[in-house]
Amino acid sequence: MDENLKIVGKRVIRSDSYAKVTGGALYTADLKLPGMLYAKVLRSPYPHAKILNIDVSKALKVPGVKAAISGFDAYGVKWGVFRYTQDHAMLPTDKVRYIGEDVAAVAAVDEESAIEALSLIKVEYEPLEAVFDPVEAMKDTAPQIHEQYKNNINIHIHIEVGDVDKAMAKAYIVREDTFKAKGEAYAMMEPYAVVASYANGYLDLWMPNAGPHVRAKALSNLLKLPLNRVRVRHINSGGAFGGRSEVAPGDLVASLLSIKSGRPVKLVLTREENAMCSRQVHDIIATVKTGMKKDGTIVAKEYKTIYDGGAYSSTGPIATSIPYYVYEECYRLPNVRYDGYRVFTNKGIRGMYGCHGRAFLAGNEAQMDLMAKELGLDPVEVRLKNGLTAGELTATKSKIISCGLKDTIIQAAEKSDFKKKWKKHTRNKGIGMGCVAIMCGFPMGFRSGSSCYVKINDDGQVTLITGMVDNGQGNESLAVQVASEVLGIPMDDINLVNADTEVTNLDPGSYSQAAAYVGANAVKAACEDARKKIIAIASKKLGVPEEEIDLKDRVAYSVKTPDKRMPISWITREAFFKGEPIVGTGSFFPDIDLEREWVSKPEGQMAGTYSFGTSVAEIEIDEETGKIKVPKFIAAHDCGRPINPMAVEGQMEGSVGQAGIATIFEGNMWYKGFLLNPDLLEYKVPLACDMPDIETIIVSSNDPKGPFGAKEGGLTIRMNAYSAIACAFTNATGMLFEELPLTPDNVLKLLEKNKGGKR
Amino acid sequence: MILPKFDYKKARTIEEALELYNKHDGNAFYLAGGTDLVPLIKLRLLQPKVIIDLKGIDGLKDIKKINNSLVVGPNITLFELKQNPFIKDYFPCLFESLEATSCKTLQMRGTIGGNILQNTRCLQYNKSLEWRTARGFCLKMGGKVCNVVPNSKSCFSNYCGDNAPSLMTIDAKAKLVSAKGERTVRLEKLFSEDGRSPFTIKPGEILKEIIIPLKKTKGAYEKLTVRGSIDYPLVGVAVTVKKDAAVVAVTGIGPSPHLYEIKEINEKSINEVADWAYEDARPVLNAVLTPLYRKKMVPVLIKRAFKRIGAGGGR
Amino acid sequence: MKTIKVMLNVNNEKVTLQVKPYETLLETLRERLSLTGAKESCSLGSCGACTVLVNGTPMRSCLILTPEVEGASITTIEGLKNGEKLHPLQQAFMEKGAVQCGFCTSGMILTAKALLDRNKKPEKRDIVKTMSSNICRCTGYKKIIEAVEETSKK
Repeated sequence: MDENLKIVGKRVIRSDSYAKVTGGALYTADLKLPGMLYAKVLRSPYPHAKILNIDVSKALKVPGVKAAISGFDAYGVKWGVFRYTQDHAMLPTDKVRYIGEDVAAVAAVDEESAIEALSLIKVEYEPLEAVFDPVEAMKDTAPQIHEQYKNNINIHIHIEVGDVDKAMAKAYIVREDTFKAKGEAYAMMEPYAVVASYANGYLDLWMPNAGPHVRAKALSNLLKLPLNRVRVRHINSGGAFGGRSEVAPGDLVASLLSIKSGRPVKLVLTREENAMCSRQVHDIIATVKTGMKKDGTIVAKEYKTIYDGGAYSSTGPIATSIPYYVYEECYRLPNVRYDGYRVFTNKGIRGMYGCHGRAFLAGNEAQMDLMAKELGLDPVEVRLKNGLTAGELTATKSKIISCGLKDTIIQAAEKSDFKKKWKKHTRNKGIGMGCVAIMCGFPMGFRSGSSCYVKINDDGQVTLITGMVDNGQGNESLAVQVASEVLGIPMDDINLVNADTEVTNLDPGSYSQAAAYVGANAVKAACEDARKKIIAIASKKLGVPEEEIDLKDRVAYSVKTPDKRMPISWITREAFFKGEPIVGTGSFFPDIDLEREWVSKPEGQMAGTYSFGTSVAEIEIDEETGKIKVPKFIAAHDCGRPINPMAVEGQMEGSVGQAGIATIFEGNMWYKGFLLNPDLLEYKVPLACDMPDIETIIVSSNDPKGPFGAKEGGLTIRMNAYSAIACAFTNATGMLFEELPLTPDNVLKLLEKNKGGKR
Repeated sequence: MILPKFDYKKARTIEEALELYNKHDGNAFYLAGGTDLVPLIKLRLLQPKVIIDLKGIDGLKDIKKINNSLVVGPNITLFELKQNPFIKDYFPCLFESLEATSCKTLQMRGTIGGNILQNTRCLQYNKSLEWRTARGFCLKMGGKVCNVVPNSKSCFSNYCGDNAPSLMTIDAKAKLVSAKGERTVRLEKLFSEDGRSPFTIKPGEILKEIIIPLKKTKGAYEKLTVRGSIDYPLVGVAVTVKKDAAVVAVTGIGPSPHLYEIKEINEKSINEVADWAYEDARPVLNAVLTPLYRKKMVPVLIKRAFKRIGAGGGR
Repeated sequence: MKTIKVMLNVNNEKVTLQVKPYETLLETLRERLSLTGAKESCSLGSCGACTVLVNGTPMRSCLILTPEVEGASITTIEGLKNGEKLHPLQQAFMEKGAVQCGFCTSGMILTAKALLDRNKKPEKRDIVKTMSSNICRCTGYKKIIEAVEETSKK
């Protein structure tokens, strides 16, 4: 079947785009329910303070105010992704730990009354000493942000493979460098919003989320409600990039207000609140020590990476590990010591990011280039030499199932004329290459898999029911396209019901790069189940063996004698006559080692498969102003077989902006616990005029277990585009970057240092 | 983000606008394009009782050639002004600064009057009421300290207008009108050099005309930003050359543009002005790039502008 | 506070509304007229997600007081279709894959429409410059620019 694909692999119009170009697509803030109230949140003005008292009584007296709550109205449950990280009350009652933390909230008939009521809430605080720098926070003298985490160390990941010290001692060259990066802002265009509606003992919720099922579970815990009473409903999401993965304080706030008032409640954050009080990205300090043989083979890596974790655990151990894993999944690292520390500071809550880990990854890649150059190798050679291939094991014993890394390197290099340009670059012009691998799905216990139902309706049209969620990347269309392929029915005939915990089954969500590989596989399996039933009836009716029948254009027909055919709608009706309507179920569970644990057992199969990618950037530095221009960017991606190449390209191009141009533009700026650029003016999201000429290369491979051979699409570029820019900077200047972003002031400082230095 | 309560009045004549202003005890703001004003009100940096819309006033939207001057109505949008053939032909510096202002969509809404009279900016000022309350009010908000330079008694907020500096280099004047009558001042006289209240314009006064002598000039505007659109200048340099002389204006650092004259353009005099402007520039950590860097860029941009104009020999 | 009577022509339909003097056009469209295609993203004029056409000119509706545009013709994304027929830009945005999360889409399409109405055959440079009025976080802009270019060639 794979050889004669009808629609998979084609550039199809995404099924969600009609609603989006006509303004009909609804997002959370667009919802209006009868009797709906508007919520506003009172936030902490202190980075660190004891809460002595919260009094909401006066707020309740404001006309139009229907409910006012604080953490004392919650159930004393703390959220954490892991049992050992449950430290986030979402509405604290003991102390506040960052400026902007949710403290109390009101719901009123309009926003004006809610704002007025907020000013009447009395909170007594006792300010405490705060700490904002993770290195300072680890010192014995630093204020403790949580009692249970000594030296504010939230998570320590220690990975030890082989004999690092011995290998380093024997290495031909060894180099150690430290790289920093400011945390970025997700800057999704949609500010966070929640609608909560509690009625008849059931709580319905709408919010941008990257996994409705995990969100509902978290809220059922926080609200001490049985899971079936918490229903996260489908809604469009205006971008996530990792920032909508976890339960948010606003979810609890809106839920409590709705439960209290008995009315639907809408909470919409301002842009500033979205930046300060929804999730942020980790600032990182990565020390990278590498030992190489004379021929450029990496023999050992030693890492110390510090993640500024903000006030609470969030995805703690995952965030502390991922940058390392995507690197070891790309390169052969025979001896490794990785120490990752996630450290609490009195800053906003942090989470995973599509581009997470740029200091670590760009640091590794740029350092490798310098070392290779010393050995007479170019970036292409050293990457090909150390890159993993299919069948090999990563350092922590994860098998690489399919691997197009080599192809992405070669194709990106050829397309960019890399070797020549790298060698013969003129002053302050450079070209650089970054590689990475991405796990498609990772261990999430029984939630690692996805299930799907499909029913064929009486006119032969289809309803597809899956937990897969779309944050804008095109997962919904992907599911429909896969179903269309299997069932031989056009995409227009397929209705999708998805990401609604009441009707859909468990799905890992879209934040572990599992949608295409895991979710779509479940869709495929369910549709294949239905397909079998359709074919069984067709076979009887047409009098041809089942193996001879294919489905295409709404018709079941014999491949050998194509005039033996009947519409699928007839077959559907036949099934109804028999009292056996056609339904299919299917599920997919990736082949991963469920014993694997992020902290206690960082070893074993991490993911069902891995995708690979290579980015190449060309840069020009203005010597006088330090401004970097990126005229050209080439991105090559092994995404298995692309289901919709146009959508994959879109992901890659978006990554060039969000990770690539971000390398020279983006970073959160702080004054103590105050975020200085929580807006879309001073936080520099690249604009159309800032983008390079982008060429995307999809290196089609065929993953044995991916749906039609597909793997994740686009994230590799999101995690190596910065490396390409950093390496191009190294090529242009002969130096390594010290801190990202490479804004003009930062670059000029480095150039001046270079002039004054030894070179 | 909703706006606080205020009343809205649309004036049909200047007299009506002045009257409305007086009726509200000065707790009123004039509205033109609103691209600077509305965000300030949304952030509760201004709390007007009434907004007086000037867009209905006839005559504030004209461009006329009167004698040897171009008389520009303040309500003309940046985009419209840019299209005027005189601008491109006579004042390339202004043409470039108009072109470099924000983005196309905002150029179509923002007016030249509003652009000149835009408030000064600071990373610790243009924030929500909640943010600023948590941080503590600074000098510009009526507080006692500067939040950027702790012991300072003056405000370092930056004037980020792109076009006032260009206009200054072409000898533009502003005609202001109030109940007491009209007065005409050189554009640079509009600036108070005090970031707390950056303009010398008196309460209720309305900018009626911008008057530019119609003499052909050469010029250039150099603007430093992170992005290629939307951003305010982190440093901006306007240069206009008239025969052997030149005028240089530096914007984006501190509460008012700085103006420099060169009597006779040559490499030495350009370097001297560049050095002088460098010394004058006192940036602080209130914009997205470091102060020292912004200071260093002042002479770089001045020299670039001259080079682009092709004056003073260049490199 | 007294409300103000405002007459507008929204998507070719005359409406008379009583609005608050401090109400933005974005609020009027979204809250009073349920035209939620215009989005509130930054609310301060920095992003363009709320762009609508006022008498054919693209404007940030979050920065405009509704009373300011008394008598104006407003076009929102909901008014772009001609009956069931999509505007060529809407069609091109779909076909070129210029839509991802969709939050910036209405502002992008309306900004592009105003450009093409002004200038039927803009150069790519002009397209890039004009579209640099709006922020998109998903696409990297390539397919958005291609969609506008494609439409301008038709």
